[in-house]
Amino acid sequence: MDSNEPMLLLSSRIGQIGDLGLDLLWRFIHIVVSLCHIVSGITEAIQSYAISLGLIQKYTSIDIEKLRCLAVVVDIEVARDVSKVVELLQWLTTIGVKQVGLFDSQGLLKKSKDMILEMVPGSMLLQETGEKDISPDRKGVAIEFISSSDNKEAVVKAANILLQRHLKSSHPENDDEGENVFTETHLNEALRVVGENVHVPDLMLVYGPVRSHLGFPAWRLRYTEIVHMGSLKYMRYGSLLKAIHKFTGVRQNYGV
Amino acid sequence: MAPFTAAEEENLPEGLQPELMPKHVAVIMDRNGRWAKNKGLQPWDALRQMGIQVLTVFAFSTDNWIRPKIEIDFLLNLFERTLKSELETLAKNNVRISIIGDSSKLPKSLLKVINEVEEVTKNNTRLQLIVAVGYSGKYDVLQACRGIAQRVKDGEIEVEEIDERLIEQELETNCTEFPYPDLLIRTSGELRVSNFLLWQLAYTELFFAQELWPDFGRSGFIEALMSFQQRQRRFGGRKS
Repeated sequence: MDSNEPMLLLSSRIGQIGDLGLDLLWRFIHIVVSLCHIVSGITEAIQSYAISLGLIQKYTSIDIEKLRCLAVVVDIEVARDVSKVVELLQWLTTIGVKQVGLFDSQGLLKKSKDMILEMVPGSMLLQETGEKDISPDRKGVAIEFISSSDNKEAVVKAANILLQRHLKSSHPENDDEGENVFTETHLNEALRVVGENVHVPDLMLVYGPVRSHLGFPAWRLRYTEIVHMGSLKYMRYGSLLKAIHKFTGVRQNYGV
Repeated sequence: MAPFTAAEEENLPEGLQPELMPKHVAVIMDRNGRWAKNKGLQPWDALRQMGIQVLTVFAFSTDNWIRPKIEIDFLLNLFERTLKSELETLAKNNVRISIIGDSSKLPKSLLKVINEVEEVTKNNTRLQLIVAVGYSGKYDVLQACRGIAQRVKDGEIEVEEIDERLIEQELETNCTEFPYPDLLIRTSGELRVSNFLLWQLAYTELFFAQELWPDFGRSGFIEALMSFQQRQRRFGGRKS
């Protein structure tokens, strides 16, 4: 037994040294990974500023015609800071974006729409009929203010319209299950009747801590490109340009 | 659905917290044409070990029906063969299979296999694997509306009772206790949801991975889950 004691002690010491070594290795890996993230963040910031200053050639001209409709989702926590939203809209106007759907789940931006329209030069409210008036030569941006009530609630109202149509159908025996009434085309029409825009955004920029569209009207999101931009508080013009430029290079198959 | 077992909690990859695991993960498996050749981990293996309770995969969209017939036949045939070959493994691993989507255009042989698989696994509790075939988010909303219309015609419900909750009950994802995904993963670097679970994705965290589906693997899932948990930890007060 006594002869085993030194061995046990040695084994224990080796185990402790091993644990210490592993702990140090783990911490070293953490430091390396953290440094990589820091370097990546700095690189991104530098690139963003370079883009803003027009130093990177490929971002100096963007085929903005490909971006017919842009959606901007703003987290509820930052939607209260209207000045940042106004600044973003001013940037989008500078870039040449013609139509923006501005969304926050609680409708705070809807309540501030008059102030926002006043502070963004050349902006106007996008009405459903007004959408047809958007021409490439028109200056300024048409803004649509959207909230969660335009999502599921609107679909319920539109579905009720179709239901009434189905129940009043003069030939119910021909369409017992409503397949001729409950179609995508008819639901689009019904959504327009309840005052909703059914135009599909080509690109959605999400500003906030979470990578989620936070309840943006789902019916419109079928093939929308979704890009998470981070916090609105730390938004950068260069990052915005980069996201839009990247979108203009995307090729969609639409299921094919 | 059974929660984490003690053994699974112990085997959780380093850095993942069991209390922050998403209950429902949805996956758009882009570039899955090479899936048959993938000798790696099947998605349900990895997620079952991590305690995920529901996994929904987008196998075939209603928008894919416009593809060439030969390609459609290949994909549906592949799906049928995979279901047959994996049935025993899934049953042994206590995985329940549910298929959602418009089955009216699916081959009869595939429908037969689907019915068999659903029947054999209906009492399994460890993980529910929902496979969306012939599915799209818009199709789901419209079929829910038709279902409600039928119930109104049958006198089951009044028109005034129709609200969001009723539509949600009629959606095909009502086959699970957790119909709303906490996390959506899409591979191949594409940044869109492509008509998948439109109604259900309102507050879902979106994770877009650069790898193709066959290369995604366990490490990819862990990265997605860590990203999800990191956001949860920082903004824990957010309702999911």
